[in-house]
Amino acid sequence: MVTLSIGKAPRNSAVLPFYGASAIFFLALTVLMFIAADSFKEHFFHPHTLALVHTAALGWGTMIIFGAAYQLMPVIFEEELYSSKIAFVSFWFLLIGSITLIVSFWFFQVGLAMITGGSLILIAVILYNLNVFRTAVKSALTIQKLLLMSSALWLFVTVTVGVLLAINLYYPYIPSNHLEILKLHAHIGFAGWFLQLITGVSSKLVPMFLFGKSENIKLIKIAFVFQNIGLVAFLIDDFFIGASDRIFIYYILVLIGILFWLAYLRDVYVKRIKKKVDIQMRHTFISMISLLIALTLISIVLMVSGNQWSILYGTFIFLGWISAIIFGKTFKTLPFIIWNMHYKDVHGKRNMPLPKDLYIEKLLSYQFWCFVSALIVLILGILLGQIIIIKIGLLIWIVVALLYVFNVAKVFLHKKII
Amino acid sequence: MELQINDPFFQEKNKAMDALYNVLDPELMVNIMDLGLVYNIDFSLEGKIIITMTLTTRGCPMGDAISLGVKNVLNEDFSDREVDINIVWEPQWTVDEVSAAGREQLGF
Repeated sequence: MVTLSIGKAPRNSAVLPFYGASAIFFLALTVLMFIAADSFKEHFFHPHTLALVHTAALGWGTMIIFGAAYQLMPVIFEEELYSSKIAFVSFWFLLIGSITLIVSFWFFQVGLAMITGGSLILIAVILYNLNVFRTAVKSALTIQKLLLMSSALWLFVTVTVGVLLAINLYYPYIPSNHLEILKLHAHIGFAGWFLQLITGVSSKLVPMFLFGKSENIKLIKIAFVFQNIGLVAFLIDDFFIGASDRIFIYYILVLIGILFWLAYLRDVYVKRIKKKVDIQMRHTFISMISLLIALTLISIVLMVSGNQWSILYGTFIFLGWISAIIFGKTFKTLPFIIWNMHYKDVHGKRNMPLPKDLYIEKLLSYQFWCFVSALIVLILGILLGQIIIIKIGLLIWIVVALLYVFNVAKVFLHKKII
Repeated sequence: MELQINDPFFQEKNKAMDALYNVLDPELMVNIMDLGLVYNIDFSLEGKIIITMTLTTRGCPMGDAISLGVKNVLNEDFSDREVDINIVWEPQWTVDEVSAAGREQLGF
């Protein structure tokens, strides 16, 4: 028998601030979307749209992903987190940087504020990379680890390009079209950061949650290769030669990578032993459906003119794919972290609450249906170009955010009862 | 884990197993005995109880809580013995280790 020590969870300061801040950012995002409802009908290069996209990508998505990644790195890497202190410092850089950047986009204050905001976020990302790579070097290489590392590097590239673009808005120096580089920035963020991180983490966690074991881990390895070849080839071609129809080839390569990943998840789902699928996992299904629709929309965006297709694509990516996965995973992780904080030392005593008792499951169920309704109504509004339908959809989004924030706050404010 | 009637520490092990049924895996909400996480209970060393057990996942953030739970329940029943826990990864835990009661609770 091989005896090993138990992996220790990181300090709460390395994880909890990210969860709290991201919930507040999400509520702010839904309120800002309602205020700027008109931006759902306008070109994506609009101050309010830029502010909304960065609230979603940084304040909501990246913020909670940092926290979850710090918590899950010991599970995925099978090693303790390199430094909880560095994680905590990265929180402040990401928080202050995101607020500064979002405000500067909203009021379109190009110059010092925008560049400072972007630079603070870049520091947060460098600190995150430091933690990922220093934790990773301690144990053997796995495909999940490789995906976490590649996604961290792509995030670094995304944010670096973002800062360069912020400088370019104030002091134009990039010879190519600003909007073309902006598209590169967005594609790296999607296919490099979010996609590869979610591919890696889900391929480890979904089998755990569903008790489904797939022998086909090579599907994830193929997914990694295709996702990266497609993205790298696209970037080199687009940056050095310029935009062309060859983008379809790269799109297909990334798409193949995504389909291999989804094939793996399907294999896990089919072979699962736990037949009952909980509300958290149902969020994951909505997330995957949103991703597939967004991928279909890319081909429409490339072939058909009309601004609503780009807006629709962004809606499915941020409010469908990424938000759904966050909703589900929040309540698969946060209650456990808080429970560990209060009850670890007295575990085994009678009448002790369980992690699921720290939030209201029924409320999560209501939130799920509100979320599905909000997404459908908003999409209908964008498709029909009807501002009143868009506003109704956005009002339901505020309800979704309030339900989510209430449940998150309930977990945070839980008082130890024994 | 099976207990033999002719085990020299039958009474103690039986009592320890009963206590361990109160330690839940907080994520799965099933006790660690029905999950088949406990491989051995050793009373042969005087003043000690050595628990050899595993976890469902390596690096499990709940691992610390589970091992503290084992110590807490055994300290209550065996205050004269020190509890040592060996976490092992071989043999690797699989769902085959889960008892019929555990399977029902997990919805298998």
